[in-house]
Amino acid sequence: MSGFSGKVALVAAGHTKWGVRNATWRELVQEAGRELFKAVPNLDRSKVDSLFVGAAQPERWAFQSHVAPLVADMVGVKPWRVVQRTELACASGQSAVRSAAMAIATGLSEVALCLGVEKMNLPNMAESQTSMADVLDREFDGPSGASAPPFFALTAQRHMHEYGTTEEQMALVAEKNHANSVHNEYAQFQKPVPKEKVLSSRMVAPPLKLLDCSGITDGAAAVLLTSAERAKEFTDTPAYLLASGQSSIGGNLANIANWTTWQPGIIASREAYKMAGISPTDLGFVESHDCFSISEIIEYEDLGFCKKGEGGKYIEEGNPYIGGKVPFNPRGGLLGMGHPLGATGVSQVAEVLWQFQSRVPKQRAVGGADLAMTHNLSGAANVHSVLIWGRSAQVAG
Amino acid sequence: MPPPDPEQLPYLLDFFPLQDAESTQISHFFDELRAGRLVTSYCPPCDRLHWPPRVACDTCTAEKLEWRTLPGRGKVFAFTAMMLGAPMGFEKDLPFVIAVVEVEGAPFKVLARVDDAKYEDMSIGMAVVLKVHRLRDGRVFYRFRPA
Repeated sequence: MSGFSGKVALVAAGHTKWGVRNATWRELVQEAGRELFKAVPNLDRSKVDSLFVGAAQPERWAFQSHVAPLVADMVGVKPWRVVQRTELACASGQSAVRSAAMAIATGLSEVALCLGVEKMNLPNMAESQTSMADVLDREFDGPSGASAPPFFALTAQRHMHEYGTTEEQMALVAEKNHANSVHNEYAQFQKPVPKEKVLSSRMVAPPLKLLDCSGITDGAAAVLLTSAERAKEFTDTPAYLLASGQSSIGGNLANIANWTTWQPGIIASREAYKMAGISPTDLGFVESHDCFSISEIIEYEDLGFCKKGEGGKYIEEGNPYIGGKVPFNPRGGLLGMGHPLGATGVSQVAEVLWQFQSRVPKQRAVGGADLAMTHNLSGAANVHSVLIWGRSAQVAG
Repeated sequence: MPPPDPEQLPYLLDFFPLQDAESTQISHFFDELRAGRLVTSYCPPCDRLHWPPRVACDTCTAEKLEWRTLPGRGKVFAFTAMMLGAPMGFEKDLPFVIAVVEVEGAPFKVLARVDDAKYEDMSIGMAVVLKVHRLRDGRVFYRFRPA
């Protein structure tokens, strides 16, 4: 498996404001397209040969299917190589980027636009919560009334039970990521959240409280991928895709690998580390999927940054902070940014480019990173997907 | 077929009844549940119970699966309660307990509501028994209650 080995370049990104937006789905798409084309003025829209749209549930949230051609229309491109929408719940955005990278690596596409979008805030929020619930096995897990928070609450309870993880440790994750999103102009949440506030926030599904949970968010983001050969047509400072991994185990909750060890995350990350020829601590930073505070704690463990069960201690010791061993979520994470399902994975990739190009505010700049990883889980953490990016097309020996 | 009763929609079941033999090949599962028994599919060549009940084994290509009756008891592996942000129609039930139940006589753990219990009453390892939740249109779904 030779993988991507620097054949695919990331050259531009655009981002809308995220939050509870007074805007429709198609307006978010238009904004993201405009911001992307603003970022790459010498791109002729007619040269975009492929379009990949990350969208989890436009059918439920915007009553719209067959979204790829509509997005092409909204942003003004007429692709002739690949036109595709990717759906993988919370990882729909990364799935779009990964599919585009595969098209570029095979030579099928040379200039691919990836746009992730979700409009989640509706007048009836129970309707929106239903869209989160049917990410689980709707016929056999759904009628229990569970959606995302109860699933991750059950996970958190078991992690506390088996490893002694505490609610205070989880609150540190929310505090850290909100401290980063304060400095992200696109973030849904831009106020500092001290851990005491996390601990005293309203209970959603014990032990998870409101500020342990990512938001219900409207937003979009877009990135442009091209071949390494053509990258310099668009920017002097591209990023390169070095490796990727993805794994899925179980659909119904009776069949997931384990409640506290995310086996698909272990498999996907190890595949990618092997493909890139690196170990986790070679990474300059990680954009991981902190949909809930407990998620990031398990990710320190299962993505290989500390021993199983020591994720809580890992953050207490300061490792995942900017300035620490390997910073997690300098963008602000899902906890600080909000989580428009189809857009999150694309926004994480935009952050990689902007961090490498030193275009983020200095308060959340990791500085000098040569390698970065973006990670998403989806559904009941039964799928994990990772991408490893480099400032150069090859890993320095 | 009459339009669905709005009161019946909430539980994330299909908009129309799909539990009878005209609609599904696992109608036996729902018929047994209606009679108060928890059954699931079993693959003789693999000597394996499935969850959820299946019509094709996921580890072999056997043409014929069988049904096995489970004791309808279990132990709580993990629990929480939905207190905020319930899906459509579940709001009127807030707060309600959701648990992962280790099913007696089977190698799997299922997600299910636990009725007749408050979050404060729950503990890991506590015994629970099957409770059949009945909808007015005749449909059924499994829940548990403290033993």
